[in-house]
Amino acid sequence: MLVLGSRSTRTMLKEITRLVSMVQKAKHGEQHEGQHYRVPLQDVKTVFPHGLPPRFVKQVKTFGEACLMVRKPALELLHYLKNTNFAHPAVRYLLYGEKGTGKTLSLCHVIHFCAKQDWLIVHIPDAHLWVKNCPDLLQSTYNRQRFDQPLEASTWLKNFKTTNERFLSQIKVQEKYLWNKRESIEKGSPLGEVVEQGIARVKNATDAVGIVLKELRRQSSLGLFHLLVAVDGVNALWGRTTLRKEEKSPVAPEELALIHNLRKMMKNDWHGGAIVSTLSQTGSLFKPRNAYLPQELLGKEGFDALDPFVPILVSNYNPKEFESCIQYYLENSWLQHEKAHTEAGKKELLFLSSANPGQLERLCAYL
Amino acid sequence: MGGAAALPRAQDGEATSPGCVRERPLPLGEQAQRWRRCRLTQVRWSRYGPEYRDPRVEKEHYRKPAAELTEEERYDRELRKTQLIKAAPATTTGSVFEDPVISKFTNMMMKGGNKVLARSLMTQTLEAVKRKQFEKYQAASAEEQATIERNPYVIFHQALKNCEPVIGLVPILRGGHFYQVPVPLAERRRRFLAMKWMITECREKKQRRTLMPEKLSHELLEAFRNQGPVIRRKQEMHKMAEANRALAHYRWW
Repeated sequence: MLVLGSRSTRTMLKEITRLVSMVQKAKHGEQHEGQHYRVPLQDVKTVFPHGLPPRFVKQVKTFGEACLMVRKPALELLHYLKNTNFAHPAVRYLLYGEKGTGKTLSLCHVIHFCAKQDWLIVHIPDAHLWVKNCPDLLQSTYNRQRFDQPLEASTWLKNFKTTNERFLSQIKVQEKYLWNKRESIEKGSPLGEVVEQGIARVKNATDAVGIVLKELRRQSSLGLFHLLVAVDGVNALWGRTTLRKEEKSPVAPEELALIHNLRKMMKNDWHGGAIVSTLSQTGSLFKPRNAYLPQELLGKEGFDALDPFVPILVSNYNPKEFESCIQYYLENSWLQHEKAHTEAGKKELLFLSSANPGQLERLCAYL
Repeated sequence: MGGAAALPRAQDGEATSPGCVRERPLPLGEQAQRWRRCRLTQVRWSRYGPEYRDPRVEKEHYRKPAAELTEEERYDRELRKTQLIKAAPATTTGSVFEDPVISKFTNMMMKGGNKVLARSLMTQTLEAVKRKQFEKYQAASAEEQATIERNPYVIFHQALKNCEPVIGLVPILRGGHFYQVPVPLAERRRRFLAMKWMITECREKKQRRTLMPEKLSHELLEAFRNQGPVIRRKQEMHKMAEANRALAHYRWW
């Protein structure tokens, strides 16, 4: 709802200190470091139905706009992605860093860039959600040793459909798949049908996910489209689960069909795209709170599976970024406390948050 | 009712000695022995004698260079070098964002010494108030936007001020019966009653799965607009005091 009178002065102030989204993502360079850019709300609905951190979603709802800060790790990743050689096998990039430094939002920045460049995005918002708190585990019909997770698979398929609507009719399935005695999917039918089947028949959702991933992997190598595989919390794939079978014995991650298929996706035996992932201790299971390095969180198995990869460290704000963040909050009148506008207040915020973006956001929420 | 003189108050409104000091407390070991012999529960006392001064925690006070001090301030500083000063409480900080009313409210919300939980509930409440007001601001027209208050601290203070009763009732024993006598309340009693009513209301009268920050933010916003159950309770207190007006002469202070 547009309120012209008050908004025009606000937008004028914004343009002075901030990049407006008129500048395309492709043109983000070193000089834009520390500045915010606005993601149109329509893009947020299509590209990020499930990817953004929950606190950021609240912030978007409160401010009525989605603004991401352009930071060095994201710029580095964008530089690599712009210069990818699609004939070579997919390069794996790993964003790692301490808690609250902005790994997930950097990933979202990269995803938005690739979406604007018309890549196909396979985005798993949090792999940890697939290895815990799943009350309904079905034994898979395809492979009796593995387990299906109907709920998680069907929600993921719905969000996948929202993001990649236009590709689903263009990509054709190259093999015949049998769902059960009566239903099957023929060679040459669009991928959209597989997704529909997965959403409609929740029992087949996990198998639908497996088919989608396999087809995308196969066909991106043919060069029809560029594929971006974005996984948040990739250390969940090689960790432990808290799920148990009926006999109360623990389920290993390989016994979950979703995780098994995702692991195949993370192997660099396909080309025509890139794999960007994030480590996350926050949702991880059986890992100490101060662990943030790839070796600690992935374990030996995970590290060997992901090796070789390009590690990108995401660190706390530098003084310029900190100042820019505070300016953004002040412009949106988010910092309401009188003392927060003063120098002493800013110094105190810097001290309390130690320039950690997550902590700063939580502090400014109640000030 | 007359006890010994109350000790001087600290600048930020925090009472240094809760309650009157009836007699000078004894040294530590002897006092403990007396308690063990009497088997009484401990009443609020201050362990400090009257010669102890209150500490001053403001950074600006100590950062002033010597040249800028006035005569009295210089005298005061010299005096403090030789006098005994009480220890500052663990909860006072030199933070610019510190608010004594918020600290007191957090302490009253605390259960079983769990200050971490009480403080997080308080911060979540302030955040909830802020977000609700921002939502209203976005949906409002230009003229209304000027009237909408978005500062959670202003809302909090105003809401508690609106909930403070002006006059209270005190049970007085006369002729074997207790009569509810209307009595003017002290400033700190009024603040205490406002906070106590707010917390009790939010604890007891909420639906099963609502969380404290949600309920408390709702009640604070209603009190800010002079509506809601806490304001009604204050008004009932006023009405009862008005009804018992005839008993006012039972008060002798």
